Amino acid sequence: MRQLGRYVLAFLVLLGAWWLASWALHLAHGREVLPTPAQTFSEGLQNIGLLARAFANSAWRFLLSLAIAFSLGVPLGLVIGFQRRLHQYLSPLVHLTYPIPPVALLMFLYMAFGIGEAVKVLVVVAALFFQVLVAAQGAARQIPQTYITSVRSAGANAWALYRHVVLPATLPSVLTAARVSVGLGITMVYIAETELGLRPGPESGLGSLIDHFTFRTELALAGVVGLALLGLASYAGLELLDRKLCRWRHLGGHGEA
Amino acid sequence: MIEVENVSIAHGSGRRELSTVEGVSFSVSAGELVALVGPSGCGKSTLLYALDGLITPSEGHIRIGGDEVQGIRRDVALILQDAGLLPWKTVRQNAALALRIQGIEGDAHETLDSLGLADFESSYPGELSEGMKRRVGIARALALHPRVLLMDEPLANLDSLTREKIQNLILDLWRTLHFTGVLVTHDIEEAVFLARRILLLSPRPATLTEIVANPEAGAPDYRGSDAFYAQVQYLRTKLGADET
Repeated sequence: MRQLGRYVLAFLVLLGAWWLASWALHLAHGREVLPTPAQTFSEGLQNIGLLARAFANSAWRFLLSLAIAFSLGVPLGLVIGFQRRLHQYLSPLVHLTYPIPPVALLMFLYMAFGIGEAVKVLVVVAALFFQVLVAAQGAARQIPQTYITSVRSAGANAWALYRHVVLPATLPSVLTAARVSVGLGITMVYIAETELGLRPGPESGLGSLIDHFTFRTELALAGVVGLALLGLASYAGLELLDRKLCRWRHLGGHGEA
Repeated sequence: MIEVENVSIAHGSGRRELSTVEGVSFSVSAGELVALVGPSGCGKSTLLYALDGLITPSEGHIRIGGDEVQGIRRDVALILQDAGLLPWKTVRQNAALALRIQGIEGDAHETLDSLGLADFESSYPGELSEGMKRRVGIARALALHPRVLLMDEPLANLDSLTREKIQNLILDLWRTLHFTGVLVTHDIEEAVFLARRILLLSPRPATLTEIVANPEAGAPDYRGSDAFYAQVQYLRTKLGADET
């Protein structure tokens, strides 16, 4: 509950800063530059249906990409990190491909996957995939030997070793990688929706909406608020997941559990 | 029960080959508790891991109950130096881990209960004292009802009072459960208190230098007696503890 109170406080502080900024900019330029929170929310409420559809489409795109990136990146990262041989051979490959921005290969992606939804999701997945892969790989290399000996001595085969040691030991790092990925993921969703392929209209995503209403600043800004809420919801979801799956890390905490 | 025949263990290969154990032979009869004592890093834990089937010797043979050791066996359990508990599993899950992995029916409840851990079954290792963690480690090994119990410095880094309590516990368990025990330790007093025979190992690569008979071990009032201290002093001299 106290955590919720802090979020409300942060929200109020942000609103205050926003209002101050639009007031100061108005004063400096002699005309409106940044719509105030009140204008934004009132315009947003009048178009709440459109905003909700755009939010749902962006959220779906983001969550789908996150799910694909994690279900590919985590197992691969763990195996590369944990098996020393694989690590030696595949690390250079990872380090070579990691820095390539997926949008740099856009023309080829269009030709291969068309200009529809697939290419948008693919670009977001590609950006998140390496974040997750590198985090999982690093975490798998840090597993203390004693856990491994302990479970091997209990008769574990390779599968049981992953099930009882590698996965749970790296889960906290993987969830941290997920939190880091939220910011990048939402930025990539925005880029995918504004820059890539077909632009099917403002309801197809928050990015498209912001782009479409560039000159209706209140509504564009309401779309930005939507992106912030999408980020916040993702953080909250990951926090809940962390408390549920990594209960052992939150023992005797600081009165928040 | 346990036969170790001319066992050598080496790590790596070619020019980087490093010998940790060289030509060690000994045997342990059923129901006997022996200690392997030697300087830190001499390879005694490596030898113990080989008895558990975690490591394959580069030369020689290890037989338990007449069969060549070729991997993890159901009737052999290992207690690790820091108990080796998994922090993400509760006490109950940790204690039952080997049962679960090996697909054996039953849980570890009785074993935990007998070690005074019944009230902590839902706790995580992070919530336990160091001494209790070691008890859970012991419970985890005993839950398998092993015929052979291998102990790798089970009491290292404990305060002396807790260490003595758990030494007494191990002795009690050995008397009631009649397992065959191999204890690896660098604590001379611990070896003298617990083991009927003490095998002295040389610095790396470990070779067997002497087997010291210690027939009075296991008597409740042995600790603190003159005979106990005489034996400890003898081993200290043998291991070169007095050299500077």
